Amino acid sequence: MKYAFFQGCNIPVRIEQYADSTEAVLQVFGIELERIPEFNCCGYPVRNVDEKAYILPSVRNMAIAEKAGLDILVICNCCFASLMKAKNVLEKDSDLQKEINTLLAKEGLSYTGKTEIRHYLTVLHQEVGTEAIKKKLVNSCKELKLSVIHGCHVLRPREITRFDDSFVPQITEELVKTTGAKSLDWRGKMECCGAALAGLNDDLSRKLLAEKITGAQKAGADFITPICSYCHLQFDTTQKNMAADQPGTAILPVLLFPQILGLCLGIDAQRLGIDRNSTIERSHIEQINSQLGPPVEEKKKRVRQQAA
Amino acid sequence: MIFNILLGISVSICLIGLLLRCSAWFSQGIRPQTQQFSFPERLSAALQGVFSVLFSARLLDVVKSFFLDLLLQQRILVKSWQRWIAHALIFSGFLLLFFLHALDSVVTENLFSGYYSTLNPYLFLRNFFGIMVLAGVAIAVYRRLSLKPQRLRTYASDWAALIFVAAIILSGFLLEGTKISSQSTFMRMVEEYGDVSDEQEQKALEAYWIQKNGLVIAHDKAAITDELISQGEEVSSRSCVECHAGNSSAFASFAVAKIAGPIAAAVGDAGVVNALWYLHILLCLSFLAWLPFSKMFHILAAPVSLIINRVMGTENGSPANVLTRQMIGLSACTHCGSCSLECSSNMFFESFQNEFILPSEKVQFLRNIAAGKGLDAKTLKTLQQGLYVCTSCDRCTAICPSGINLKELFISSRYNLLDRGIPETTLLSHFSFPLALAQSYASDHLKALKNVEQLFKKSFKTLSDMVLPLSLSTPRDFGNASFKSCYSCQRCTNICPVVRSYDNPGEALGLLPHQIMFSLGIGNVELAMGSKMIWSCSTCYLCQEHCPNQVELCDIFYGLKNAAINKIEAGGKQ
Repeated sequence: MKYAFFQGCNIPVRIEQYADSTEAVLQVFGIELERIPEFNCCGYPVRNVDEKAYILPSVRNMAIAEKAGLDILVICNCCFASLMKAKNVLEKDSDLQKEINTLLAKEGLSYTGKTEIRHYLTVLHQEVGTEAIKKKLVNSCKELKLSVIHGCHVLRPREITRFDDSFVPQITEELVKTTGAKSLDWRGKMECCGAALAGLNDDLSRKLLAEKITGAQKAGADFITPICSYCHLQFDTTQKNMAADQPGTAILPVLLFPQILGLCLGIDAQRLGIDRNSTIERSHIEQINSQLGPPVEEKKKRVRQQAA
Repeated sequence: MIFNILLGISVSICLIGLLLRCSAWFSQGIRPQTQQFSFPERLSAALQGVFSVLFSARLLDVVKSFFLDLLLQQRILVKSWQRWIAHALIFSGFLLLFFLHALDSVVTENLFSGYYSTLNPYLFLRNFFGIMVLAGVAIAVYRRLSLKPQRLRTYASDWAALIFVAAIILSGFLLEGTKISSQSTFMRMVEEYGDVSDEQEQKALEAYWIQKNGLVIAHDKAAITDELISQGEEVSSRSCVECHAGNSSAFASFAVAKIAGPIAAAVGDAGVVNALWYLHILLCLSFLAWLPFSKMFHILAAPVSLIINRVMGTENGSPANVLTRQMIGLSACTHCGSCSLECSSNMFFESFQNEFILPSEKVQFLRNIAAGKGLDAKTLKTLQQGLYVCTSCDRCTAICPSGINLKELFISSRYNLLDRGIPETTLLSHFSFPLALAQSYASDHLKALKNVEQLFKKSFKTLSDMVLPLSLSTPRDFGNASFKSCYSCQRCTNICPVVRSYDNPGEALGLLPHQIMFSLGIGNVELAMGSKMIWSCSTCYLCQEHCPNQVELCDIFYGLKNAAINKIEAGGKQ
């Protein structure tokens, strides 16, 4: 299986490790990602200003993938939402589709809606499947306690993203479970990291972020696992900026899901770019490595249970 | 004599130009803050930088840069082999012609003993290099035409550069071609070097040169017999061959001679050769004089910029050197458009129809800003928007074949313009996110935000401004009509993470989410547009997801934000 790899603007320049670790993990399951340099911004940044200008870039991206005959695989939640939104809008608005297609025709592109948009978690969960993942595991990290933050724009609005149950998300939880790590039940799991307000209202943005950090820390998290690239930047960069303003604050380190899964699949920490997360210290990597153990063998337990 | 005068004029203009351009490196710059550096301060900071590199391990980077970036032009190669071939053909062809042909008395004669411009391989190579340049120009023209739909902008000055280069080469071919065919040139050379004893031998030599070497003389064709030609060959081998290879080696000019020769002969070949010589020389000399004032200055500035880029990456040096690097970068831009072709914001250009969203177009105008030229308010506003509508993906910086640190240039320019106090509504977009992350101009950013806030205060009434009781009117058609289903259960407000962040949310946010729906319900869109709530919305969609009546609150907020910005921008025009 091959996908057009849509990384958006932040990942290639600020969170390369997210792309690298995702690529490494998907490779284990024979999923190939093609990097397409022609892709442009998904449109998300301009949404506050002009809704139509927000839709257009995503349509072009889908048209590019269509020309290449590939479906799109997305990591960033906000890119995912933008692409899905554009797809939804054009499904209902054939006039707009026509208008955009006239524009795209100039560069030999056309959008028909053939391209599917897939979040990498959906691909892991549906196409690969948790059973297949378990078969490839060489490690598990049983004692690892994670605060997953799902990110708003992948779950909501559910009519647009069509990703998962927006109130009780299952996909990410089940995927985390395969690694043996514990996904904590914590306040803030489904809430906003404050990224959308950064640069517009930094005080409020940081307040929302701080609330999530303390929430996760109180729940006893070893690491925070953001799904969205914007969440990642909030936790991995803004958190450090905040700590610099307030020395002595305890940092909540960030570990991305493909990094955890990658470790359990036996992929080298270096290749997964764990040390490129700026909140990760050497001691954290040692901690994770010491917690890695053989994969949990559920079958035996079941047999024992049956015997009992 | 005339040649020497012309050469003197052209070299002086070129030198003055180079001096002016290079002094701009140390005197101009785009600074957002008021930090000023004098010319000597800038120059000494730059020299310090250069010395610290020369006497450190980073010297290796310079050497590496010379081979990889300057000679191999690796940055172009990794992006497009087509561009690389075009540039390499022009670059190497032109340079080789410059050193081996234009400066032959200085360079070639000293390098190769027994050099005669009329001998091979020189005769052949000159043509070969010329054809290389022409082929490169042809690819470049094709590229500019074929990439137009991909938003590659071409100015008259870009065409001028290509035409100039092509004209120099073509005039060279024409000159050589007419010389090959010219009777007077032939006669002059026979007189000077020939060992011709009688008229018969002269006839034979002519016949041979007409037949083999492209000479055009109105001869009786029937008189040119094989016998005469072989006699001519003998005379030729005695008189000419030692210093003159067969003209067919100059393959391009030889072809020109076949076509242009008869015409020149008809018009008067001596005059034509003379005129073409002047044309060729004038083109070359005016190119030299034009070089520092055009994008051709990149021949000098791009190598410097590339070496700096290799040594420093996107890391910034001392503030004085940052400005100097900016200016070197600005002067190294060739308007090749690579940055705009891969700009992540290219579709916003299509939506806003603002040329300045394309990085290559910004750069052209930033030169004026750097030089401190005054710009009219409208251009400033457009440039400011163009600078702000940027996703900070840094692709332009990674791509630039001249190694310009566009990222730094654009951020500095952005805050330089914002500092002038014109409110920029796109500040309220998520383009602000990477800027908040980088924290490089935090206080300037806040100041610019305040300007936008003031504009909002002026443009919209808030609830507390209203003296009269709110009146009821029919809800206006407002894109998204789902607000009509609101029955004021306040679930939205209760679940909102922003509302709960304030002790007194009503005061801080103007209107609460359910109140915004209510205000739309009574037909007061203005009030909703002016509330601070919509700009404080974290777009988490919790309200919308939890609304029992499927009111699309978050989407409505987006609509209100768009409408508010539209209103303000339209107000500015009135």
